[in-house]
Amino acid sequence: MLSIGLTHYLVVAAVLLCTGLFTIMTKRNAIGILIGVELLLNAANVNLVAFDRFREGGLFDGQIMALFIIVLAAAEAAIAVGICINVYKNLATVDVDSARQLQG
Amino acid sequence: MGQYTYEILLACGVLSPLVSFWLLVFAGPKLGKPAAGWVAVVLGMGVPLVLATIVLIGWLGETEGGRAALTAGAYRGTWAYIGTIPVTVGVKLDSLTVAMFFMVTLIAFLIFVFSIGYMKGHSDEVAGKSKYHRFFAYLSLFGFSMLGLVLSSSLLFLFIFWELVGLCSYLLIGYYFDKGFASAAAMKAFITNRVGDFGFLIGLMLVFMHLGTLDLDEAATVFAQQYAAGTGIFASHFTLFGWSLATIMGVGLFCGAMGKSAQFPLHVWLPDAMAGPTPVSALIHAATMVAAGVYLVARVYRLMTPEALAFVALIGCLTLTLMALIAIVQVDIKKCLAYSTLSQLGYMIFAMGCGAWIAALFHLITHAFFKAMLFLCSGQVIEGCHHEQDMRKMGGLMKKMPVTGITFLVGVLAIAGTGIPIPGAEIAGRKIGLGGFFSKDEILAVAYVRAFEWDDISKHEEHGEAHGAGHTAAPEPEGSRAMLVADRTQAEHHDEHQPAAAAHGAQSTHDSHGGADRAAIFKDMKKLPSWMFYLAIFTAYVTPFYMMRCWWMTFMGKPRDQHVYDHAHETPLMYVPLVVLAIGTFVSSYFLFRPLIEDASHSATSAAMVLATDGELGTEAIHAAHGWLRWYVGGAFLVGFIVAIAIYRNGLGLAEQLKKVFLPIHTILWNKYYFDEVYDVVWVKGCVLVAHIARFFDTYFIDLLVNLSAAVTERIAAFSGLVIDNHGIDGIVNGIAKTSIDIGGVARAPQTGRIRNYVLFATAVATVVVVCVLAFGMDSGSGAATVASSVAP
Repeated sequence: MLSIGLTHYLVVAAVLLCTGLFTIMTKRNAIGILIGVELLLNAANVNLVAFDRFREGGLFDGQIMALFIIVLAAAEAAIAVGICINVYKNLATVDVDSARQLQG
Repeated sequence: MGQYTYEILLACGVLSPLVSFWLLVFAGPKLGKPAAGWVAVVLGMGVPLVLATIVLIGWLGETEGGRAALTAGAYRGTWAYIGTIPVTVGVKLDSLTVAMFFMVTLIAFLIFVFSIGYMKGHSDEVAGKSKYHRFFAYLSLFGFSMLGLVLSSSLLFLFIFWELVGLCSYLLIGYYFDKGFASAAAMKAFITNRVGDFGFLIGLMLVFMHLGTLDLDEAATVFAQQYAAGTGIFASHFTLFGWSLATIMGVGLFCGAMGKSAQFPLHVWLPDAMAGPTPVSALIHAATMVAAGVYLVARVYRLMTPEALAFVALIGCLTLTLMALIAIVQVDIKKCLAYSTLSQLGYMIFAMGCGAWIAALFHLITHAFFKAMLFLCSGQVIEGCHHEQDMRKMGGLMKKMPVTGITFLVGVLAIAGTGIPIPGAEIAGRKIGLGGFFSKDEILAVAYVRAFEWDDISKHEEHGEAHGAGHTAAPEPEGSRAMLVADRTQAEHHDEHQPAAAAHGAQSTHDSHGGADRAAIFKDMKKLPSWMFYLAIFTAYVTPFYMMRCWWMTFMGKPRDQHVYDHAHETPLMYVPLVVLAIGTFVSSYFLFRPLIEDASHSATSAAMVLATDGELGTEAIHAAHGWLRWYVGGAFLVGFIVAIAIYRNGLGLAEQLKKVFLPIHTILWNKYYFDEVYDVVWVKGCVLVAHIARFFDTYFIDLLVNLSAAVTERIAAFSGLVIDNHGIDGIVNGIAKTSIDIGGVARAPQTGRIRNYVLFATAVATVVVVCVLAFGMDSGSGAATVASSVAP
């Protein structure tokens, strides 16, 4: 029976990362991009937890780091959604390509 | 009186007219017509006259030694420094000062009084304002300047007062400035005087430069030392017209006198100056200011070289002859007197040049009295005859103006040198005669000796002093250097071997700086050409003629213009000064002044250079000449008088006939040798020509340069502005800006503002980095190994 090893987790994390990046690059909707960012963060979390699990004499520091990132992601999401609302208020859309006022 | 008492009294006498001047300048219009005049009479000249009288009485009471001590100890203060050389201000206190001071104050006082009477009848309104007070303000200022001039111990202050009297002369000649000719005459006087004063200034600067002092006494001492030693100014090899620098200095100082005393080439201003009021002509242009030139020569006599004195004699001789001849044909009473003044000034200057220092100053003082009187008489006549100056319209005025006529006659007798030349006819040891009789005789005697017997005298003196060995007696024209050396040796001999003679020199000069040096100058004096003497004696015959002619035409004969005759009258305020001056003419001829001047000659001149008919200054030759000349000069007045009376006895008929006979001569004299015309062509037209040339030069050369430089500047500006600035400087600035824009444009291109693009860049870069690290990184292998090992179990 095939045992689940570190490599599998890493592959999952890589797939998540690529999915996130792809989302960010292709989506024009700000919420979509936000989702892509969440995918990136979770890819990192998977990596951290996996390394923590497969490391000998671990002190769960990888998992603690993952918890930090989750908290961070929550805060980031809150701020990002706030920005999205403000962008919508000003431009009546959340299309990031429309928000180019700061470009010279 | 004490040492400084004299100085204080004299200084107060100088300052009093200045106070009067300021008073009249500020309060004059309020004082009004007679009051302003009386202020000038009392404060302007009355106070100085009183002080001068006190000083004179005090001075006459001093012993000879006392006077010498007072002269030596006279006040000197330092006024300023030029570099390290002090400029002293002080009082020149000697017998000459006292005599001049008294003479000036006395005559000026009388003329001030006369002026009140004279100005009473003159209109003085100009543009509705009275200028009466101005006249007396100017007179007061003149009093201040003239007295200051007499008192100055320093050449610088002498020069300052000199210019001040010139200014007063200008102001007073131009008093009737509303008449065009008066202001023109004033300008002519002023400008002609500038010519002379320029020479004075050159002399002054030479004195300062080479003698190192402007004090008269110090300068004379230094000059005598330098003459004896051949150093200083005598060491210079500079020459001009064959004159050494020392001679130029003397001639330069004399130029000032030529201007002020109206000597030959600069005489043209004096006749025109008669445009001023008659009291001014009497005071300034006859008695005092014009005599200041003679006074100046007397004061700088010790700075004169023999050559300079010869020049002085030449100028004086030409003036005295030429001007006397013009006086013969004059018909204007004032002009006639003016030319006579010129001639008499010429006599004084000639006497100075001959060495008759005493006679010159004696003549100055007697002349001041009688010429002032003559002018005042003419003023009385002009005033009485309703401003008629033409003598052809007068005649027979004796009946209407007896006092004036008699005083005028006294003046005529004095100027003609009337006297009794017979031996034995004497009063108190002196011959009977008037002014000119004494002074002119003496001048001519000295002139004769200088012109004919000079070599003999020179030899005689030398043998007498018994140190003639190796020294040629007659001064030869050529060797000025050789002469100087010879004289220096002689001077040393004098000091070493002739204590007695030296002592005599010191005693007679009151000056320890050696009669020996002065004797050297004396020996260098050359013989004068004999024509000078002939001209002088010829003029002695002409003078009585033109003076008697003037008097006869005015006062005797039949009235030629009934209107003038009817109007004629006399004013007491005017004839009282005349009488006082007439008495002064008698007094000044006999005593008082002559001894004072003789006394002054000891200290104020190089005694050896002074020649006189009496005292230790005379020589046997002079005495002899004086003795026999008396018959020729003493009788001259009779000849002149008789000829004049013979011609003018029966009106002007004979004179008119003579005029036709001598028409060419008369024309030349009538036109005053065409001096005014020549000067007009040479100087006035010359000036205009030079101005035209200057304007031409200005227009066509200076302007050309200016315009050229302007054009060049314009071109340069255009090039610089349009080419360099617009393309060069702006190009750099704009280029920098443009480059910045271009760089900015390039740098801006990746900044799309699209998040996707940024993420793509970031990812791409991160990927490249990771790939690089994995592929080439040093630790990549080991890192992978570590991961592998940790994964491996």
